[in-house]
Amino acid sequence: MTDGLDALTVIFTEFYYWITVVLMFLIHVGFCMYEVGASRYKHHQHTLMKNTILIPLVTVTWFFFGWWIYWAFPTGPGIAPSIMTESSGLILGGGFGANDVANPMSSIMAINLNDHINGVFWAAFLLFSWTAASIVSGAIIERITTFAFGILAIAIGSVFWTIDAAWGWHFDGWMVKLLGYHDAYASGVIHAIAGGFALGVLAVLGPRIGKFSSSGEPRNIGPRNPWLVCIGLFLIYTGFWGFYAACNIPIFDLGPEYGMEGVTFYTATNIYITPTTLSGVTMNFLMSLAGGLLAGYWISKGDPFWTYSSGLAGIITASAGNDLYHPIQSLLIAGVGVWVAYRMHYWVERKFKIDDAVGAVAVHGYAGVVGLIICGFVLWGYPSSGYGDAYAAINPMGMFIGAIIMFGVLGFLPGWILAKILHASGKLRIPRAVELAGLDYNILEAAKKDEKAVSSASR
Amino acid sequence: MATVTNWVEHLTTDVDSSTEGIQVAGEIYPMVGTEGWLLLIGIIFWLAWHVATGSGEAEEQSKLARKSPGSNAHKSNITEW
Repeated sequence: MTDGLDALTVIFTEFYYWITVVLMFLIHVGFCMYEVGASRYKHHQHTLMKNTILIPLVTVTWFFFGWWIYWAFPTGPGIAPSIMTESSGLILGGGFGANDVANPMSSIMAINLNDHINGVFWAAFLLFSWTAASIVSGAIIERITTFAFGILAIAIGSVFWTIDAAWGWHFDGWMVKLLGYHDAYASGVIHAIAGGFALGVLAVLGPRIGKFSSSGEPRNIGPRNPWLVCIGLFLIYTGFWGFYAACNIPIFDLGPEYGMEGVTFYTATNIYITPTTLSGVTMNFLMSLAGGLLAGYWISKGDPFWTYSSGLAGIITASAGNDLYHPIQSLLIAGVGVWVAYRMHYWVERKFKIDDAVGAVAVHGYAGVVGLIICGFVLWGYPSSGYGDAYAAINPMGMFIGAIIMFGVLGFLPGWILAKILHASGKLRIPRAVELAGLDYNILEAAKKDEKAVSSASR
Repeated sequence: MATVTNWVEHLTTDVDSSTEGIQVAGEIYPMVGTEGWLLLIGIIFWLAWHVATGSGEAEEQSKLARKSPGSNAHKSNITEW
C-alpha cells in the first residue's frame, strides 16, 4: 500500500473485522456458560468440554475446506450463472473465486504483506461457524457422545452452513439471484439452519432419561443454575453486536461498484453490498432485542429463562431485514417471532416428544424461519442486489422457499441423516448406565478420593 | 529456512518490473512453497485426533457402564474442599 487514503481504508477495514472477531468470542463464552448452567451437576464438565472442543474442530476444518466452499459454491453449482465467471460451475478463479481467496495451500491463506483482509474475513466467518455448531450443542446436552458431536459440529460449522452462505449470503449467490433471498443478519443462514439441524439430530437422538413420563407428559428438567444461564445469554447478546458488525462491509464506494460513471458514494453495506448505515442498524438491533424481551416476559409470565432467550429470539427474527426496517417494525417483528417460537417449542415437545434441552430449535430455528417469511412481505419489491437485472426482487414466495431450504434442506435433513449414520454405528448416544450415573462420575469420584486424602493428611 | 533475512531488501523486492519498488514479495512465513505438505500434515493430525479421542471416550464409557453406579451415586462424591 503506497497511497495514504487507500491504506487508511484497508487498515480500518482490517481492524474493524478484527474487533468483530474479538466481540464474537463472547458468543461462545456465553454459550458455554449457558450450557453448563442448563446441565445437571453430574454432567457439567463433559458438557463444557463438548462445546469447547467444537472451537478447534470447526476452526481447522474451516481452514481446510469450509472457507473454500463459501467461495466455490455460490452458483449451486449448476443452478445459476455467476456474474463474475458467467458460468454456473464451481467458482474457482476470477478474482473472488475459491482458489484465489480460500485455497488452504495458497500463500494468501497466511501472513502476506499483499493482503490485509482475507484472514480477518475468514475469522469473522469462522466465528459464525462456531455459533452455528454451538446452537446445536445446547439442544443435545447430557446424552450425546463427544465423538458424535464433533462430527456433527464439523458438518454444520464447516460444510452445511457455508453452503447456505454461498447460496444465500454472497453477492453472487443463486438464491439471491433467482429467489430474491435477503437475509442481512442471518435469520436463516445461521439460525434457521442450525435450529433445523438440531431438530434433525434430536429426532434420532431421543430425549434424556426421565424427560417424559410413561404417559408421554413432558417433565421440566430446569436449568440447574439459572443465573449462569442468564449471564450466558447476556454475553451472547454482547457477542451478537460483533456478529452484526461482521455482517457489514464498513466502508465501500458503491459508485464504481455499481458502474455509475463519475459517482462516488461511500457507505457501509451489508453482505450483499447494498447500502445501509451502522447507525440505523444499531437502533434496529436494540429495538428487536426490546421487542423480544417484552414479548418473552409477557408470554412466559416472567420466566427468566424464556425472557432472556426471547431477547435473542427477537433479534434473530428481525435480523433478515434489520438493514432496512424501521425500528418500530423491528420491535413488532421480534415480538411476533417470539410468540411463534415459544408456542412451537411446547407444541413440538408434546406432539413429537422432542427434548430440546435449551430451546435452541425454537429460539434459533423457528424464530429464524418466521423472520425470513416476514421479511419477504415487509421488504416485498426491494432489490436484492445492486448488480442489475440478473437479480430477483425480494418477495414472499422467494423468502418462503429460502426458509425451507435453510431449515429443511440444509438443516434438518443433513442433521437427521448424519445422526442416523452415527446411531447405526453405535456412536451417537452414550450408554444408558453412563447417562444415569453422569458423564462426570469418574471425575467426581476421583476428586472425592483426593479430597479425603488431602483432608486426612497431616503434612 | 528464513523467508526474510533483510526487511529493507524484502520490501523493495521487484516482483513485477512495471511496478519496481512498489510491490513486495508478500509471503513472509517460513518455508514458503511447502503449503501443500503443511496442509497434509494438518489433515492427518485432525483425523488422528478423532480416532484417538473417539476410541478413548468409548473405552472410558464402557468401563463406567460396567460399574453402573446409579443415578444418585455421584452425590456421595460431591466435594467440599
